[in-house]
Amino acid sequence: MPKNPSSTEPSVAAPASETVRAAVTVMLGLYFVGLALSIMANSASGSSALVRTIHGRLFSPWMTPPWLDLGYDTKLTYGLPDDADHRIEVRRQGTPSTVRPLVLPAAGMRAERARRWRRLARAAVIAEQDPDREALLPAAIGAGLFDDVGGEDLSLRILREVRPERAEVATVGAGQPRFEQAYAARVRRVDGELQLIKNEPKEELAPVVREPMP
Amino acid sequence: MSGRPTTLSDAIGATWNRYWFTPADPRPLAIVRIFAGCLALALWLSYAADLEAWFGPAGIVSQELLRGWRSPWAVSLFDLAGSPGLLRALWIGGAVVLAMLTVGLATPVSSVLAAILFSSLLHRGPMLAGPADDIVAVILWCLAIGRAGDALSIDRLLAARAGHAAPPPTVRTRIALGLLQVHASVIAAAAAVAQLKGDVWWNGMAAWWLAMRSDSRVIDVSGLFARSEYLTNLITHAIPLWELLFAAGVWFVPLRRLLIPAALVAWPLIGLLAGEPYWGLAMAVLSTASFRLTGGVR
Repeated sequence: MPKNPSSTEPSVAAPASETVRAAVTVMLGLYFVGLALSIMANSASGSSALVRTIHGRLFSPWMTPPWLDLGYDTKLTYGLPDDADHRIEVRRQGTPSTVRPLVLPAAGMRAERARRWRRLARAAVIAEQDPDREALLPAAIGAGLFDDVGGEDLSLRILREVRPERAEVATVGAGQPRFEQAYAARVRRVDGELQLIKNEPKEELAPVVREPMP
Repeated sequence: MSGRPTTLSDAIGATWNRYWFTPADPRPLAIVRIFAGCLALALWLSYAADLEAWFGPAGIVSQELLRGWRSPWAVSLFDLAGSPGLLRALWIGGAVVLAMLTVGLATPVSSVLAAILFSSLLHRGPMLAGPADDIVAVILWCLAIGRAGDALSIDRLLAARAGHAAPPPTVRTRIALGLLQVHASVIAAAAAVAQLKGDVWWNGMAAWWLAMRSDSRVIDVSGLFARSEYLTNLITHAIPLWELLFAAGVWFVPLRRLLIPAALVAWPLIGLLAGEPYWGLAMAVLSTASFRLTGGVR
């Protein structure tokens, strides 16, 4: 039984006053400018100095905390190696290659959990092109997995899938998925200090130049 | 205000006012709340098993890493969780809040808390966040703005038992639905623009490269694509075309009536093909907000 009969009467929505409309209009306008600038500033293609400055000084401070300062540029794929699936592989330094390494995402991981591990692996590889972030994530991944491999000296590899061309699959079949090394490093902790020694691909190493003998 | 607008500025003003300030029925927002709540909960639960491995005191995503990684403006409640116990408690608290939002319990509070906690978790590990997280964050903030618990909720059930009449349509709900529609359109357009910068979306091979991600794919259509290049091309071209059509079409009332039901199928299918099923579902949920909206070109 209703306690107060008058409360069950259909109520009518109060229209927004002119002041409220004006305030909301200003807020919406500001937000839409921020949304447009966020999309422009967070584009993978880069952005102009003007957009970066206005966005960074006026909009990032209040759009970043609620996770709204985004480019929403869901490209899905550009068919590049960076777009392929990545995985992390770690083993204790010096362990024979016959011993199975720890692979993440592990075989039993499914759905979004596995996707988050793949994003982590991919982010570590992509960040290598960013001087401000280079080596940060591989070192953190290594340090975070010391306990899992049972030692503070490990070999870290990030592998990415090599995807065949369509014509190749159409003629010879897909075969088993193949992975290539996208990043490799030794991560260790010595006297409390975390060290990362990156394994450079051989072709990127400078040749040894010897002074001619007199 | 009475009579028809006589000047262009009057017409724009009238359209703006009609779109943003006509009180809206709470049911469409309640439907978004239920589906978005389920999705947010699923994304939240995906952190469960690795919570400590990622964010624990000896975890991968340490505070030191975050100092060099994320924006100086980023803040996260999870930064305060210095011990595994506190971290787990905060995470469980977040799961409870998202469950409350989904069923519509204490919605005015749970909707705001859900948005704050969800964005906090994403800021705690920005390199782990994916496109589905981005969309769900937007939806949760829109739910916090509107009166998402005014229908199809435990709050409403309790109010009805106490003899309170159904709440009337409100402007707040209208603003939330309007914002969801704007975001649905803008996000679809941004995705299409991003895709069209890549050669594979022009040469018709993008669908092939999506299908060949053997770890992350949800359905394996590589055999189908290997047999037919035309099919690969067709699917590739259909994706950005759909996104552009959707981005523009939600503003035209007759087209919207066809587009929104199609969106409930198309977005999840694209998500499945791209190996991002939650993103596809999130886009479908975002699209539902436009279904019963009035306003737009008739």
